[in-house]
Amino acid sequence: MKKYIIISALVMAIISIMSGCKKNDFPVDEDGLLITTRTDCYVSNFELLGPDFQTVRSKAPVIDTTACTISQEVLYGTDLRSVWPQFSLAQDCKLDPKVTGKTDFSDLANPRQYTVISGNRQIRKTYKVIITVQSR
Amino acid sequence: MTINFKSYIPFIAGIVLLFTACSKSDDYAVPTPKDQLQNDCIKRSLGPNLVGSNIEFAYAMALPKTRGKLVSAQVEASIQGAAGTYLENRSFYTNNSGVDVPVKIGDPSVNNGNATTTNFTVDTNAATLRYFYQVPEEARGKKVSFTFTAKSSNGETVTYKMGPYTVSKMDMALDLGVNDADSSYISIADMKVYRRSQPVDPTKIDLIYMYRTFPTVTFKHALVAPAAPKEYLTDFVVPNNATNDVRLVKAFNLRDQQLARQQYGIFIDDPDFLAQNFTNMPDYFLNIKQEAGAWVETADGKYRAYIYFNVVDDAKKRMTISIKRYTMK
Repeated sequence: MKKYIIISALVMAIISIMSGCKKNDFPVDEDGLLITTRTDCYVSNFELLGPDFQTVRSKAPVIDTTACTISQEVLYGTDLRSVWPQFSLAQDCKLDPKVTGKTDFSDLANPRQYTVISGNRQIRKTYKVIITVQSR
Repeated sequence: MTINFKSYIPFIAGIVLLFTACSKSDDYAVPTPKDQLQNDCIKRSLGPNLVGSNIEFAYAMALPKTRGKLVSAQVEASIQGAAGTYLENRSFYTNNSGVDVPVKIGDPSVNNGNATTTNFTVDTNAATLRYFYQVPEEARGKKVSFTFTAKSSNGETVTYKMGPYTVSKMDMALDLGVNDADSSYISIADMKVYRRSQPVDPTKIDLIYMYRTFPTVTFKHALVAPAAPKEYLTDFVVPNNATNDVRLVKAFNLRDQQLARQQYGIFIDDPDFLAQNFTNMPDYFLNIKQEAGAWVETADGKYRAYIYFNVVDDAKKRMTISIKRYTMK
């Protein structure tokens, strides 16, 4: 009986050691995000919030994944110097530059640009965010 | 056939555990009252302590029947309360319907300097009196504490200390009415609303209230600074020399309990004004919704305020607003 207990313990110990030394097969990028095999690279939705964290969109965004543009009309009177953009991306994608807080979109002549990077980190698509304000 | 007793060990252990879990707890014993005059106190009012408003306490005192009766109750504040300070001469109990029912126990309280005293005129050996301390101007930004004292007929005295409590620096103005027809000018410096039809110092005008509708955009109820772009002032004729340019930060779901006086459990206090960032903020707020709010910084940076929109009435083109204001300089 004692013999079996010792053998079981040894087998468990060896398995534990082997598991612990197993090489990590999943690569991560510089942000610590998993690099996958996915090649999807697009923006699926766009939102713009005001200082009170309520939407300033007057209608749904028009996202052209071929021309890589996001056209968004905002409510009359929206102050675009301090709004919070939110992007929904295809699975495993990431955005560059990162959205870290309120952003100035007031320079309508020079639309802001955001690059979507695919899950395999091989494909990059730069989107222009074209904002228009409702007029009276 | 042999029986392996070791295999029954987990079963027996489980049974033992079950019995342990179901063991009866000790019987409750009614506590024996102390043979002396006793007291206790709770603070009933919640939120920041504002100048002009009340800090409310409930002070309970009791002694065994054999040791006499209550003679007087007194509260001494570290800073003399304003004229509205009083100690109840009625003790309340809550009936089966949840209603607080008063029982008169003495004469109305008397204020003498920092002390407020109620003398008992009925033979009672237990009472709970409420104390309302109206915060005076002298207490603004300071700490105030209270000493509650009860006396019995056999000469016993007990005291209970409460505080210190910090009195906020901010001011509050409730239920100011603005309407599109006339009462349009809001002064943060004065915490008042001025009428267009009456003479007003244009330098006092921080915000203009208006109600407008347009076929293609939503404008409705709006607060606009006199110096805001003409586009947002629409057809409004701004008085000469009205040039204040306040900054506004919209807020949503920030329903201060003292401003809204509803069930909300949010309180805006002094540090909240200091934490606001008005950089790159507009000088107008369009399409105002009921129960929303706006942080405001005056043009000279002297005041910061939070305006809460209690009532927004499209039909009558009016709003009821309440303001908390903090002096920065």
